Amino acid sequence: MNVVVCVKQIPDPATPGELDASTKTLRRSGSIILDDSDAYGVEMGLQLADKAGGGEVILVSMAPNNENKGLRTALAMGAAKALLISDEALAGSDALSTAKVLAKAIERADADLILTATESTDGYTGTIPAQVAELLGLPMVTFAKHIEVDGDRVKVQRQTEAGYDEVESPLPAVVSVTAGVVEPRYPSFKGIMAAKGKPVDELKVADLGLDAGQVGWAGARQEIADVSAAEERKAGEIVEDEGDGAERIVAFLEQLKVI
Amino acid sequence: MRFVFDEDASAFRAAVRDLLDKECGPADVRAAWDSDAGFSAARWKQLAEMGVVGLTIAEADGGLGLDETGLVLLLEEAGRVALPEPLIETTAVGAPLLQALAPDRLAGVASGDTVVTVGLSHCPAVSGAAGADLLVLERDGALHAVAAPDVDLTPVESVDHGRRLARVDFAPAAATVIAAGDEARAAVALAFDRYAWASSAVLCGLADRMLELAAEYAKQRHQFGVPIGSFQAVKHKLADALVKLDFARPVVHRAAFSIARDDPDRAVHVSMAKAYASEAADLAARAALQVHGAIGYTWEHDLHLFMKKAWALGAAWGDAAWHRRRVADAVLPRLPR
Repeated sequence: MNVVVCVKQIPDPATPGELDASTKTLRRSGSIILDDSDAYGVEMGLQLADKAGGGEVILVSMAPNNENKGLRTALAMGAAKALLISDEALAGSDALSTAKVLAKAIERADADLILTATESTDGYTGTIPAQVAELLGLPMVTFAKHIEVDGDRVKVQRQTEAGYDEVESPLPAVVSVTAGVVEPRYPSFKGIMAAKGKPVDELKVADLGLDAGQVGWAGARQEIADVSAAEERKAGEIVEDEGDGAERIVAFLEQLKVI
Repeated sequence: MRFVFDEDASAFRAAVRDLLDKECGPADVRAAWDSDAGFSAARWKQLAEMGVVGLTIAEADGGLGLDETGLVLLLEEAGRVALPEPLIETTAVGAPLLQALAPDRLAGVASGDTVVTVGLSHCPAVSGAAGADLLVLERDGALHAVAAPDVDLTPVESVDHGRRLARVDFAPAAATVIAAGDEARAAVALAFDRYAWASSAVLCGLADRMLELAAEYAKQRHQFGVPIGSFQAVKHKLADALVKLDFARPVVHRAAFSIARDDPDRAVHVSMAKAYASEAADLAARAALQVHGAIGYTWEHDLHLFMKKAWALGAAWGDAAWHRRRVADAVLPRLPR
């Protein structure tokens, strides 16, 4: 069974991110790593391919400057190969343009199952998995906290606020996974060495049969109108307890209409 | 000589740092301090799966077949988190010793199932003995390999609870001998140098982390309306310690190279490393403690975990003064004592 895992390479959250004032987008010039939330999909894909007794995990990623450091991490975990779409024409792509690119790349991979994270750790739109499924004309299951493949069907426990739904879908399908789905492995040294020799196919927008006008700034249907710093948290009120502490707490809660 | 680590070494180091950052925080170290063996078997297994534990073991025996130059950066990482697992005892000392003298006893070592420690007779308290499955022990000029059930342990108090010490009693027999005579003597000298060198690498990591904690605190803690890190006296204290660490590191790396290549000056290089690293970690601990306003003195503060290991390892396998003497003995005409 071939599993495609969509992965994003993001600026290392350990170094504070910066916005480019002119484009109002995130600067992506610093250290780039595999988005932590994508490690779950990679691990799940590896376990499913292993259980199916054959097939491989193929990574699909879109990134500037042929960046592949994050892909190497996922390859070291055990993925077989990667498709990397990197093109200057992609700068400024919104979620839908990104989904178009990913969908075109996924079409090349002959996948039985496509896994994504629920949302990226730097962008947080959470819309790309559903957009990719729609563009590919495939069924979609979101928020998977457990996945089993049974023949040509996938059984998913879908996380809800109250518990989980049991959902089944025919394959191929797109499934977005939560952080609870599996515990990602740490890449072993042998995996790190092996990853250096694994293929990363670099593709341009034209290779995917897309027009440069459909993606990037040119194709974006959304515009970032304004960005501003998050409001600083206000300092709390410090109350000296002069024997009436309990009453003051009750009065405060009443004022909030909590009690 | 141009000495740089290759891309693989940096990638291994990053992978190990990632694992240790997640799996070996101060709370995990404290949990190990309170455990029977003094370390976490689960974390040891994770390190083994990654390839760290068997790094110095031949590929045919399940390891990676790398040498001290491949291990040194990982020992520094172990120091950065005050790793309680027996990486020094098993990977830096025990495994290469068994590889040379009794490779048939290496079964289960690389996979993390068999923990090894080495006890040398001039140091009666054996580190890591409580959690070891196989003990290599020096007795009357011979080296013996003895399984855990065949030894009696008497715990010895250690300043670092993440480094358990014990006196070990066992019945030496012909069947337990793995080396005797000149072969044993050479193996004991090499094991001692490996212990001293590996401790130096861990000390560099400890110093690095303590300075990081102190620098962070100096930026947070305000006095007279400004962070204390803006005072020159505080800055200089930390800068002096950092300089000492930066001078120690290359010497430790050189010692790794000398052990790996069996350099005739191995012992001198190891002694230089142990002297520099012990002093660097000692200064880093003192500077960090002072910058923290002595709060690191309490068990509750994280700095405590790193200081205790730095003091223990600084004194173990010859302190700075002992190693300086060994360098002097080797390079100068005999000095009057």
